[in-house]
Amino acid sequence: MGSTKILIVDDEHIMRESLLGWLERDGYAVDAVASGEEALDKLKNTQFDILLVDIQMEGINGLEVLRRVKEDDPDVAVVMITAYGSISTAIEAMKNGAYDYLLKPFDPNELGVLIEKILEHQAQIRENLYLRDQYRERTRFESMIGQSKPMQVVFDLICDVAPTDSTALITGETGTGKGLAAKALHTHSPRCDGPFVVVNCGAIPEHLMESELFGHQKGAFTDAKETKKGRLELAHGGTLFLDEIGEISMRMQIDLLRVLEDRVFYRVGGTQPIEADFRVIAATNRDLEGAIEKGDFRKDFYYRLNVISFQMPSLRERKEDIPLLAEHFLHRFTRETNKAIDGLSREAMDEMMLYDWPGNVRELENAIERAVVIGKDRKIQPLYLPFYCARHFSVPSDDSLKEMEKSHILRILGENSWNIARSARILNIDRSTLYSKIKRHNLRKAD
Amino acid sequence: MIDREEYRIVISPIGDIESALSDSISSEVIRIYGFRTEILSLIERVDFALDPERRQYFSTLILEKLAAVAPSRAVKVLGITTADLFIPILTHVYGEAQLGGKTCIISTCRLDEGNPASRPADFFRRRAVKEAIHELGHTFQLRHCPERSCVMHYCRSIADVDRKSDQLCRHCRVMLTDEIQRLGIKKNPG
Repeated sequence: MGSTKILIVDDEHIMRESLLGWLERDGYAVDAVASGEEALDKLKNTQFDILLVDIQMEGINGLEVLRRVKEDDPDVAVVMITAYGSISTAIEAMKNGAYDYLLKPFDPNELGVLIEKILEHQAQIRENLYLRDQYRERTRFESMIGQSKPMQVVFDLICDVAPTDSTALITGETGTGKGLAAKALHTHSPRCDGPFVVVNCGAIPEHLMESELFGHQKGAFTDAKETKKGRLELAHGGTLFLDEIGEISMRMQIDLLRVLEDRVFYRVGGTQPIEADFRVIAATNRDLEGAIEKGDFRKDFYYRLNVISFQMPSLRERKEDIPLLAEHFLHRFTRETNKAIDGLSREAMDEMMLYDWPGNVRELENAIERAVVIGKDRKIQPLYLPFYCARHFSVPSDDSLKEMEKSHILRILGENSWNIARSARILNIDRSTLYSKIKRHNLRKAD
Repeated sequence: MIDREEYRIVISPIGDIESALSDSISSEVIRIYGFRTEILSLIERVDFALDPERRQYFSTLILEKLAAVAPSRAVKVLGITTADLFIPILTHVYGEAQLGGKTCIISTCRLDEGNPASRPADFFRRRAVKEAIHELGHTFQLRHCPERSCVMHYCRSIADVDRKSDQLCRHCRVMLTDEIQRLGIKKNPG
């Protein structure tokens, strides 16, 4: 309580003193000034949690103090003190951001309760700000990792969109984490306790799609030996995630559109209408507007899905997240494989930062997994990275034996950190032979 | 160091205060604060503090008057009045104290508030004792205490006053000891 600072602004000495004495006994750090000018002056150097400001004062009056204080610090709680008869002014002050007003003289309990309420409110604001900051600063959002600006924009969007029940369309290149974003939308929505049902529209053959989505009645077709609930039905109370929606057939688009509009569907072979309450999130790496122009995607279905949309940034657009992502995957895979790898070498990190990552985070994840599996050093070296190998040790266009030998030796040397003895052993030649081949092929250790 | 024996907490009934109440407060003050007490009427009336418009008595003025007439042996002075007290910013007060100062006062005027059915036996005396210990605590620099059972807890309702104890909590006892030492008064051998 002692850390709560209260400033009393009142031109009546007796009011100032009695309020100051009362609040001091309550354990607050209290200061008092006799005018608006003094208050603004004091506020330049000292921060207060609560201001108790008399409305009627000569010079800068209470309303003006309120206006200027709020300009500088909207979070400070200003309570206006007013005499009976000036309530309309007090109400005007509240419209301008005052927390509340007290009518002089006020009940001691009223003052105490109000101050406690303000402190609780401020604590709540601080907590919210803290949580918001945590949200912003944290490197992980669900399994999404990123401190970069584009990812913070995505996190903010997820925070804003998740609580709504609107259909969302997530676009972005392959491997950018569209599925993770969809999951994050679900887990931060009021439906989080419900199911999160994924339909990979690109992976389910068209002839099975109808049954997968809508379910089927026993005997609806030859293989329908049991009645089966479809994914739409399973998603009741939760979220239906339609991944790779750009791959869905025109016919299925019509069926789904109808479901999205009516929230009612029939199982294949069924006659009973089934109502299911779910939120739809769709994702695609395709240019759906282009697909509409080409006649591959229905415009009405697109607009039904595209109520809220956002794009996942490519890894190229957030390269500053690469070290964080790499560390994360490295930690995960070293734990899974039980390998003693301390980290990434600076050279490996430099290579990763220079690379364009067309497969985005998924490619990075795979690269680190491979490097952990094949790595033999305490630190991951560039040559363990697939894109590096592909660039430096690509199969020669010249299929001559000489080129093949050169490429093979270079790869083995690279994988063994140019440890000659170990490389020679793997190549099944002696060290002197290896030295002579290195010289002959003019091989050099990569920088 | 000054010997505590040389000092008194003066309890000053103002006007028509039953001696049994003064005695009761006196014995509790001795128990809590460890000073001898002296029941001595320092002022007879509080008319000088009357606000005719409010028909209440401005407690701060009474405190100033008590301080002015207090004998030198009085380490603290507690006034007891039946008058309805106020400070200008508030509608009323049950009591007032000079924080870290010499004087405090309690009013018995509103101590019979609350639901009669839920009043504990001897409620009036108990409430007065708690108020007296509370206001005296302020003169020893004690602030309101968040511990609900502590006598220094600020109660929002008279029912809360009935619920809190007439004891200082451990924390407030330590603060009191520090303040008495700071005043340069020897600890009681007892």
